[in-house]
Amino acid sequence: MHIVVCMKQVPRDNSVKINADLTINADGIEQIMNLFDEYAVEEALQWNEKLGGKVTVLSIGPEDWKEQIRRALAMGATDSLLLSDPAFTNLDTFGAARVAAAAIKKLGDVDLVLGGRNSTDDETGAFAPALARLLGWTQLTYVGKIVSLESGKIVAERHLEEVIETVEASLPAVVTVVKGINEPRYPSLLRIRKVAKVEIPTWSAADLGLSAADLTPALKLVNRVPPPPRPKGEMIEGKDAAEKVKKLVDKLMEAQVI
Amino acid sequence: MANEIWVFIERTSQGEMAGVSKELLGKARELADANGMKVGALILGAGVGDLANAAFAYGADTAYVVDDGALAQYTTDAYVGAAAALAKKYQPALILTGASFQMRDFSAALAAELDTGVAADSTNVSIENGAVSAVRSSHGGNVINTLTFAPGKTAVVSVRKQSFPEPQPNPGRSGAVVTEAMPGVPMRAKVVSVAPKQGAVNLADAAIIVSGGRGLGSPENYYKLIPPLAEAVGGAYGASRAIVDAGWVPYEHQVGQTGKTVSPKLYMAIGISGAIQHLAGMRSSRTIVAINKDPDAPIFRVATYGVVGDANEIVPLLTEEIKKRTGK
Repeated sequence: MHIVVCMKQVPRDNSVKINADLTINADGIEQIMNLFDEYAVEEALQWNEKLGGKVTVLSIGPEDWKEQIRRALAMGATDSLLLSDPAFTNLDTFGAARVAAAAIKKLGDVDLVLGGRNSTDDETGAFAPALARLLGWTQLTYVGKIVSLESGKIVAERHLEEVIETVEASLPAVVTVVKGINEPRYPSLLRIRKVAKVEIPTWSAADLGLSAADLTPALKLVNRVPPPPRPKGEMIEGKDAAEKVKKLVDKLMEAQVI
Repeated sequence: MANEIWVFIERTSQGEMAGVSKELLGKARELADANGMKVGALILGAGVGDLANAAFAYGADTAYVVDDGALAQYTTDAYVGAAAALAKKYQPALILTGASFQMRDFSAALAAELDTGVAADSTNVSIENGAVSAVRSSHGGNVINTLTFAPGKTAVVSVRKQSFPEPQPNPGRSGAVVTEAMPGVPMRAKVVSVAPKQGAVNLADAAIIVSGGRGLGSPENYYKLIPPLAEAVGGAYGASRAIVDAGWVPYEHQVGQTGKTVSPKLYMAIGISGAIQHLAGMRSSRTIVAINKDPDAPIFRVATYGVVGDANEIVPLLTEEIKKRTGK
């Protein structure tokens, strides 16, 4: 079975700034593998250990994104692919889905695409559904357990807000996973060293046959601002815990929140 | 492009129209009246004929209905297939949906099928000179984005619950029903079973949330202090990522960047230092109470009321005081 994991590199935390041209400024913030994608990598590796085949980790981004691809390789992914082109700089979610779809079509023999339920930076959760429609495959989102996976068929539990839905679907399919589906492994030092020099294949827009129209955002970003500041708070003082508690309850009752 | 705004009508488990659909019909009505447009209710399901009248009462002019056994349970293939066929035929300018997991799945796939875009989990939507704009936050609420759709394409916007007020229904209102047959689309997935989630906590719906963190010292202290206080204020209980990852509390309860984003009227953060990932998930709460030993903890920067002290001493007193004063 050939499993492709779509992986995004994101800032470790979201204390980002907004540039004058409305792009996001994450300078000085460590870049990590999107947490939900790490679960997708682990899930792919576990099924690969049972079923054999290939796990290709795929990412769209500049050259320095190879660091997180290497982390996935060190975890145990067998293959990798970076989709990189200056024309990809301002892709929106659907543009990214078109790029990934072109690459997966070009790979040709893919049975299953796995990814996280959303990225922790853009938080749209729209990449995987768009990718599935562009490939003409079905999708299973918010999966908390893959019950079975075999040639041509997947059974999985979708963990929704209040129910768990068990769904059976034909392959190929696009599946997104939630936190807690597994416990992602740490890459071993030995493997980190082993993959340090591995050549990561890189495909450009031209390699994928993509035109400028394919990469044009569907939505135009017209404004981007930080959230309004919270009103200044108040520290509750008192001679002891009991007095502070009494004053706090006074405030909460006055504000009619309890 | 037809001059219509469509609202996807969601049902509760009892088969009634969901609150978020009422909120969206209210907003659609307001936008339609201001722009000389009409409101359509998109009703998909099996045995859902009654919903059309409910949709009219809340402001719809027309109900577009596909009533078919294939739609008895949500699958992406069936629902997106039916909705896309209707949207391609009638060309609405805008389709509004809720932003539950199911609706996030649906709206993104529908937008892709219609070769347009989606503004996911939006908190506002507007129409100016025929152009649809949506406001959505990203980066854990640290960035507020305004996005405008290209003219000439159907805009698809999923909207967070409680972004708009629920309108008063007018049971006397009526409208036209347009019924279409289920189109022939490939159905590659089927729902085998649906089971209630064990210990499900819908933090997103809770009006009050009491959350604990590593400052409590141990899982025993968490369970001794946090659920009883949550019960005293009639709220749900949450947790920081640190103690979820340490196995003290199930993931269901996690608030923050990789957990739930919440904005209750009261959020109490107890023994939570306020890592930026946690603040991302709760900073839009109306009132925030922080209790922490460390006076320099970042949580105090977003707190409405801060108390410096040992949670193990303060929380039992607080629980008792609240019970006494509120008579619970």
